[in-house]
Amino acid sequence: MTVIKRIFGLLWAAMGLSIIPLAIMRAMQEIAEKPTEENWIFWSIVIVVLMPIISFSLITFGIFALKGEYNTLEA
Amino acid sequence: MAQNVTNVAQTEEVTSTRRVIAASSVGTLIEWYDFYIFGTLAKIISEQFFPKDNPTAALLATLATFAAGFVIRPFGALFFGRLGDLIGRKYTFLVTLVIMGGSTFAIGLVPGYKVIGFAAPAIVFVLRLLQGLALGGEYGGAATYVAEHSPEGKRGFWTSFIQTTATLGLFLALGVILIVRQTLGIEVFNDWGWRIPFILSVFLVGISIFIRMKMSESPLFAKMKKEGKTSSNPLAESFQKKDNLKMVLVALLGATAGQGVVWYTGQFYALSFLQNACNIEFVQSNMIISIALLIGTPFFIVFGSLSDKIGRKWIMMLGMLIAVISYRPIYTVMYSEANLKLKEEIVEKTEKKEKFDVKGADSLITTVTTKEFTDGTKYKETVKKKFPVDPEVRAAMPKDKLKPETKKEVTLPQDLFYKMIGLVLIQVIFVTMVYGPIAAFLVEIFPTRIRYTSMSLPYHIGNGVFGGLVPLISTRLVEFTRPAPGAPPADPLFGLWYPIIIAAVCFVIGSLYISNKTNNLDTE
Repeated sequence: MTVIKRIFGLLWAAMGLSIIPLAIMRAMQEIAEKPTEENWIFWSIVIVVLMPIISFSLITFGIFALKGEYNTLEA
Repeated sequence: MAQNVTNVAQTEEVTSTRRVIAASSVGTLIEWYDFYIFGTLAKIISEQFFPKDNPTAALLATLATFAAGFVIRPFGALFFGRLGDLIGRKYTFLVTLVIMGGSTFAIGLVPGYKVIGFAAPAIVFVLRLLQGLALGGEYGGAATYVAEHSPEGKRGFWTSFIQTTATLGLFLALGVILIVRQTLGIEVFNDWGWRIPFILSVFLVGISIFIRMKMSESPLFAKMKKEGKTSSNPLAESFQKKDNLKMVLVALLGATAGQGVVWYTGQFYALSFLQNACNIEFVQSNMIISIALLIGTPFFIVFGSLSDKIGRKWIMMLGMLIAVISYRPIYTVMYSEANLKLKEEIVEKTEKKEKFDVKGADSLITTVTTKEFTDGTKYKETVKKKFPVDPEVRAAMPKDKLKPETKKEVTLPQDLFYKMIGLVLIQVIFVTMVYGPIAAFLVEIFPTRIRYTSMSLPYHIGNGVFGGLVPLISTRLVEFTRPAPGAPPADPLFGLWYPIIIAAVCFVIGSLYISNKTNNLDTE
């Protein structure tokens, strides 16, 4: 189980990292296509609020898991 | 004699714990009620304070709806959590109650945009932020306070009463609004009657403050304070120390994020789906949700209590897993039961009425079409077309200003009404599985000296940010499937992918990394 926890740690960190360019590219594409107020508000919320929380927490959590910090917790 | 003394002591302990739970739960219930009436009355508030033709006011409306929901709540969690770990639980969550009650009451008194202009949306915006701040501080305090009074082995049961308050708060808000609206009539309610649920809050909060003032400090915190073991910097200790930060992260990604999306989907998204995708009539859709919430609420206590016996983890994980698997089938049935294209119309009962009015320089044509279907479903469509009487002015107007306003209302027959209640109830049961044990789970993974701060942040990010964004992101996802603006969406259920993906990731993380062991609360 400890090996699985560590391997998945890599996955969480990779997920957290990949979300950043994906979200920014999608936001830029959508705003360029339709620069409406609705689009600006929606993507601002995603980029300023949601994305940093998801990325930061997944990357940090992934690194902790990879280092085996959660191995002492019984699943 | 000794037996009698033991019995008296036990009875006193039970009475005291009951008093603690009652005082904490009533206050938290009122806080949720205060928070929800703003959301439930968002449309009326928007008309009163945030006119669409003023772009700044419209922006404030959006910010007031979202900012208080997810940006401010975690800040409230940090601010009041820190305070709770420094000066104590009792006074901190007393302050949050006063702020929440005061700002709710004040919203009910603020004159509209027509009376005081831009000051109106600005004041309401600030008051809404205060509401979010107070809510961010309340829950962690109440859960910690009750947990620190609870006997070992019964923490899940006792804290589950706090867990019922969010749902009961929504129920209370919907109930009060429906009663006031039905009593005063729609026009009066939209004019000034909507203020009553806000003003009513001051009495509820007053009673709650009176009860809470009589309560004593949490025994664990009081002991730590007496021994001088409280934290001098709870924020740094909570988030800069690796051992605690890793627990904050596992709590967020393995529990509260999934709980947040399941919670919002089962209650708010379900209501929004009934009203907007299924076009179920306002009172009937609110009744469906209210009844399902009322029947489902005892299950918070059932699952909270069960978590004392079999552990918290697998109940929460199972709730998330079943939600992930069953959301699409449940919503498919909900959608098809209200889909008029699948029903047989009784053509001879179809009626169409047209009314023509002149109001000032504008003409208003109202067309009301009513239909009946063989299964007992009734449909009413009201189309309002407003245009200037003067043909020259009319010709000069942009096309989107001349677009008619259409309101669709489906009223289901009794059997389908009950079926809808059943379908929403299933979702409320998922909510009770993930939410019932979570307070006990959160308080047990953090040490007493920084518990208020540490548990409040993941809770409010999970519930407020991940959960609070369900309506916004899900609505947006459905928009992606619309082939053209104004056309019906190709997949009205596409919005469910947001809660499904978040809950699925949370399920995997929670299953792998969360421990099923229930911990005792420390005093170190």
